[in-house]
Amino acid sequence: MREIRKVVVLGANGTMGAGSAEVFAAGGCEVMLLARDAAKAQAGLESAQGMAKSATIGSLMKVGSYDADLEKSVAEADLIFEALAEDLAIKKEFFGRVTKVRQPDSIVATVSSGLSITDMAAVGDASFAKHFLGIHLFNPPNVIVGTEVIPHAGTDPKLVEPIVDMLEKRFGRVVTVCRDLPAFAGNRVGFKVLNEVAQLAEEHGVAFMDYVVGPYTGRAMPPLSTVDLVGLDVHKAIVDNVYENTKDEAHDKFALPAYVNKLIAAGHLGNKTAAKGGFYRRAKEDGKNVRYVLDPKSGEYTRETPVAPVPFIEETCKLHRVGRYREAMKIFVEAKGREADLARKVIFGYVSYALNRVGDGEVVREPRDVDRIMGFGFNWAPPTVLADVIGIKETIAQIEKCGLEVPAVLAKAPAGQPLFREANVNIGRFFSA
Amino acid sequence: MAQPVYVLGGYQTDFARNWTKENKHIMAMIREGVVGGLEATGIDAKDVEVGHVGNFAAELYSMQGHLGAFLVDADPAFSGLPTARHEAACASGSIALLAASAEIEAGRYDLAMVVGVEQMKTVDPKTGGDYLGTAAWYEREAEGVEFPFPKLFGRLGDEYDKRFGLKDEHLAHISAVNYSNAKRNPLAQTRSWYMTEDHANANDKFNSIIGGRIKISDCSQVTDGSVAIFLASEKGAAAYAKRRGIELSKLPKILGWGHRTAPIEFTTKVAESKDNPYVLPHTRRAILDAFERAGLSGVQDVDAIETHDCFTTSEYMAIDHFGLTKPGESWKAIEDGTIELGGRTPINPSGGLIGAGHPVGATGCRQLLDAYKQVTASAGEYQVEGARKIATLNIGGSGTTSCCFVVGN
Repeated sequence: MREIRKVVVLGANGTMGAGSAEVFAAGGCEVMLLARDAAKAQAGLESAQGMAKSATIGSLMKVGSYDADLEKSVAEADLIFEALAEDLAIKKEFFGRVTKVRQPDSIVATVSSGLSITDMAAVGDASFAKHFLGIHLFNPPNVIVGTEVIPHAGTDPKLVEPIVDMLEKRFGRVVTVCRDLPAFAGNRVGFKVLNEVAQLAEEHGVAFMDYVVGPYTGRAMPPLSTVDLVGLDVHKAIVDNVYENTKDEAHDKFALPAYVNKLIAAGHLGNKTAAKGGFYRRAKEDGKNVRYVLDPKSGEYTRETPVAPVPFIEETCKLHRVGRYREAMKIFVEAKGREADLARKVIFGYVSYALNRVGDGEVVREPRDVDRIMGFGFNWAPPTVLADVIGIKETIAQIEKCGLEVPAVLAKAPAGQPLFREANVNIGRFFSA
Repeated sequence: MAQPVYVLGGYQTDFARNWTKENKHIMAMIREGVVGGLEATGIDAKDVEVGHVGNFAAELYSMQGHLGAFLVDADPAFSGLPTARHEAACASGSIALLAASAEIEAGRYDLAMVVGVEQMKTVDPKTGGDYLGTAAWYEREAEGVEFPFPKLFGRLGDEYDKRFGLKDEHLAHISAVNYSNAKRNPLAQTRSWYMTEDHANANDKFNSIIGGRIKISDCSQVTDGSVAIFLASEKGAAAYAKRRGIELSKLPKILGWGHRTAPIEFTTKVAESKDNPYVLPHTRRAILDAFERAGLSGVQDVDAIETHDCFTTSEYMAIDHFGLTKPGESWKAIEDGTIELGGRTPINPSGGLIGAGHPVGATGCRQLLDAYKQVTASAGEYQVEGARKIATLNIGGSGTTSCCFVVGN
């Protein structure tokens, strides 16, 4: 593989563009940031400096515009990194320009999370296709190290390993190699859970679902707050894409609830539309931060009141708080009642769905792959961490009880050995109290 | 002749974690350290005979004292275990190790557990800076001062400047080396942070002055973390080695130790040392004591150093105090690459307090565990090739309490 020294970032004014410029420069590359005009690219550069908390990182960066600088800089680049809007027509236009002038062995990568790598690869000539793949960084890329690498059928297989190796060693990424299937691994698994919670919120309420499937179940942030953070429109794009283009055992979990469609149509996209909100709306009253919560049935927001504590959840949190994770999850597994049933349905649904994405014809090859992207892309307890902490036999029993498919990874697990084998990872970090 | 003290290994938590964000009590940190240590060494909890905790200020950060008692809660087999907590500011971890090793040397116990722990992200940086001020003479040196410690260690740099001359570029290089080493350490707090020598030399809104000549890049980190280490007598180590199927001679020992305390006020320290070739002669003495007890003729007999770089100036001081250069000539070892990984005597292959992080009460234990990893060739990407003997230097206050260990086979 060509040594990567010079990188061109297309769409450098966006969050992912600026963030990836930061990641590449931090690894010692010279980075050309391109946008519609140089002033926009300069804004991207400044944003990258903010992420690195360093002005000097700018010494590795140059800025330019598509009109004046694209052809010349692409011709000199070792890696062309595309972070344009998620619109195939726009991407096609730029890839058409890139394929004409790039070096025959330069790498072309897209940060896209929603479009088919195969479709994009087809835009350029044979050499372009051979050197084209997805490098899906998560937002913000300077903080979230989980990264997906997505070759398509025509990507030169000799490139994949050195690219993964480079991303890990030089750019500090934790990499999962995925097949080119809708939403790849992280978003396929993650948004299945998020959308299922959004569906359940229609009947059970937003704040209640965020409490019942909250951080104690192995995540840094409650699910619907997470959707507010990523944006309801982005959420819709991902789940619609999976719903339309896949058929699997959890197909119905990707159907976007009608009330979410209504919110989006009315411009309630989450944190980025702060005044309108999403599942929650933040406000300042008498100098105090308060939150309003959406009622999915009426579409109205009401002032947030504390959710009535559920004893098993409080008990689980108490044990997490002092580092007794196994005992905590035992309580979670053995608890009785509607809340416990709901929470287990989502959590064991997650474990089952995630590990079912492993294997021939599936999204990833090894359980480790899905573990890495859920742990370091989403900050969720990886599925095998949950299985280890709960116990593999018990996990299988719970999955069966929920009427779900038992993944082969669990059914064939050797007794007495942990499934999660990632070195130097404290599993306690995934369980917040 | 005192009994030898063996190091059986241990465990460090990921120093990049923010346990307050996880809503965790300090008990969780202690527990993860202990459980991780028992797993890593294969030691059965019921074989542990005594427990020591190094911690600086849980009373302030977490409104919790009596940390020795929390060891008992870490495993059901520890009920009844004799325990105690030790405090000597940033040297608390080493003091706990000294207490445990003294008991082993005296023949009281055959297997001791030492846990260093600090939870610091419970408060905002300014409050935390104020708490750290209690490691100095608070009323005289810290009360009402914003970030007192950077200022005190800035004065250490100023003292070097006055006596020998000091260039800030050399301090920037120390910072860059520590950050660069930390990138190889999978448990280092800053492993994914951006840092270059250019940035460390910059003085702008991203690298502003915190106090005196100390900029952000000169500082160690505010860190949450715990470290557990197991120490054993020859009898305890022999039983352990047999169970694990390893030769006793392959287990590292604490070959030597030094422990000195200087007057707490910085002004008194430098007044006392004004005619001494060394700025902090008691620190120098602690190092020489350790070398002497280990039977070493000098720093040339150690393969690497894990030192206390709470600020770049403290590492600058350590370089000449260890004897890598003549007094005042630390810059020579910086310029000729001595202190870098691959250099003659690498300093802080782990990344040190600047790169790996500085959970105050855990730091001495982290240094000893890293020394253990080096001499057992298990330090992974930051391994110093062929390391047989490692020295540590852990400092509390403004060069007040100095503890030095030599670990090796």
